[in-house]
Amino acid sequence: MFFLYRWWERYRLGLILTVLCLGGAWAFSRSQGVGVLEIFRFVSSPVHSDVTKQKRLVDAQTWQLQQQIADLESRNQTLQKLLDQDSIKNKQAIAAAILGRSADNWWQQLTLNKGQTDGIEVDAVVFAPGGLVGRVTTVSQQTSRVLLISDPTTRIGVSVTRSRHLGIFQGQSSTEAVITFFEKDPDVKVGDTIVTSPLSRLFPPGLLIGRVKSLKLEQNYNPQVIVELSVPIGQLEWVSVYLHDQTSPPEKTVSSQSASVE
Amino acid sequence: MIKPLPLRKQSLLNLHLWNSGIILGSVLLCSVMMLLRLPAMVLSGIGPNWLLVWVVTWSVKRTTLQGTMAGICLGLIQDGLTASQPTHTMGLALVGLLTGRLNTKRFLQEDFISIALIVFAMALMVEATAAIQFGLGGTHRLEDVWLHFRQTALSSAILSSFWAPVVYFPLNRWWERYHRLLGIE
Repeated sequence: MFFLYRWWERYRLGLILTVLCLGGAWAFSRSQGVGVLEIFRFVSSPVHSDVTKQKRLVDAQTWQLQQQIADLESRNQTLQKLLDQDSIKNKQAIAAAILGRSADNWWQQLTLNKGQTDGIEVDAVVFAPGGLVGRVTTVSQQTSRVLLISDPTTRIGVSVTRSRHLGIFQGQSSTEAVITFFEKDPDVKVGDTIVTSPLSRLFPPGLLIGRVKSLKLEQNYNPQVIVELSVPIGQLEWVSVYLHDQTSPPEKTVSSQSASVE
Repeated sequence: MIKPLPLRKQSLLNLHLWNSGIILGSVLLCSVMMLLRLPAMVLSGIGPNWLLVWVVTWSVKRTTLQGTMAGICLGLIQDGLTASQPTHTMGLALVGLLTGRLNTKRFLQEDFISIALIVFAMALMVEATAAIQFGLGGTHRLEDVWLHFRQTALSSAILSSFWAPVVYFPLNRWWERYHRLLGIE
């Protein structure tokens, strides 16, 4: 008993501190690192002012293009209303600066300086000048974490714009990625444009992903092609995030497809 | 040489407060640095593993148990910053354990070169642990994991060992002074 008491007397502080450290670290890992990200955003917020300046310069042209797109979309919508398809959604997006990148070499992630208070939700689609960037995986009050399309766990249904052939896109942790096709002999050439497929559940259809760089059609099981991503993800400083869910419900897409087949 | 300062009762609490503040602050700084890619610190898109350098700095003059605990804590923090599946605690706990053991056997002296060497070897080991975890996890194909390991492990190890003194030097200076003030050698 005395031995135990001596032991406790001697190691009490170390034991309590160890438990506190482990508990704190565990709570941190459960909270998805929210505290550190918020502090980081606060500390680095003065540095990001030049980004907004640069953005303002680009804004003029963007605004002009946006007006043209809005005009075309409204015309498209009237045409689609004539065809009884009312699945067009409000395409509202906000710009967010990139605070940081992934904290290890295995995940391809970004941290943004906008979060819940700005209306970003989990699974929101992130894009940049050039096309698709990724998807939001966690949000805190004023930051959010994006899983990039270059991450090996990313799998997206894609299609070749020229021939409408469907395939599965998979990231390769670099500026290139692999697409596996379902058909034995797909109609695809070097230089073809790849966009998200209309059947994708996670991404809106028709977002640009990249260009075909080389073909590996002699693969044993399924033909593959190497794609060069159209967005220079390593050089990005800010991205845009869709505020509303842009994906069309699968049953609606399928029904409209079958309707068009009929 | 820093002269041992005369220590009064009330300054002991101050000293402990300073020490915990420095520990927490340096861990926070390292975690934030993990997210950044500054121009001089990037080799093919990969930055130094600051948390690993911190664990090595901490464990090199401490016991294996203290090293392992620090490794687990910082591994959990890195889990929070990236994704917790597979966990980073395994690699960093191993780093703490092995660095703590190195100390007791006195294989190496404590200077910048040997710290850089330890960090180099430990960075390779952390990457290997992660590769094994990803390979066994089933989300990644084995050949992709092997390819990624070959591409990243070496640049991560080189950068981490190159930048290790930035963390090691101030922290080691402080802990030497702290221990001298407390009368522990």
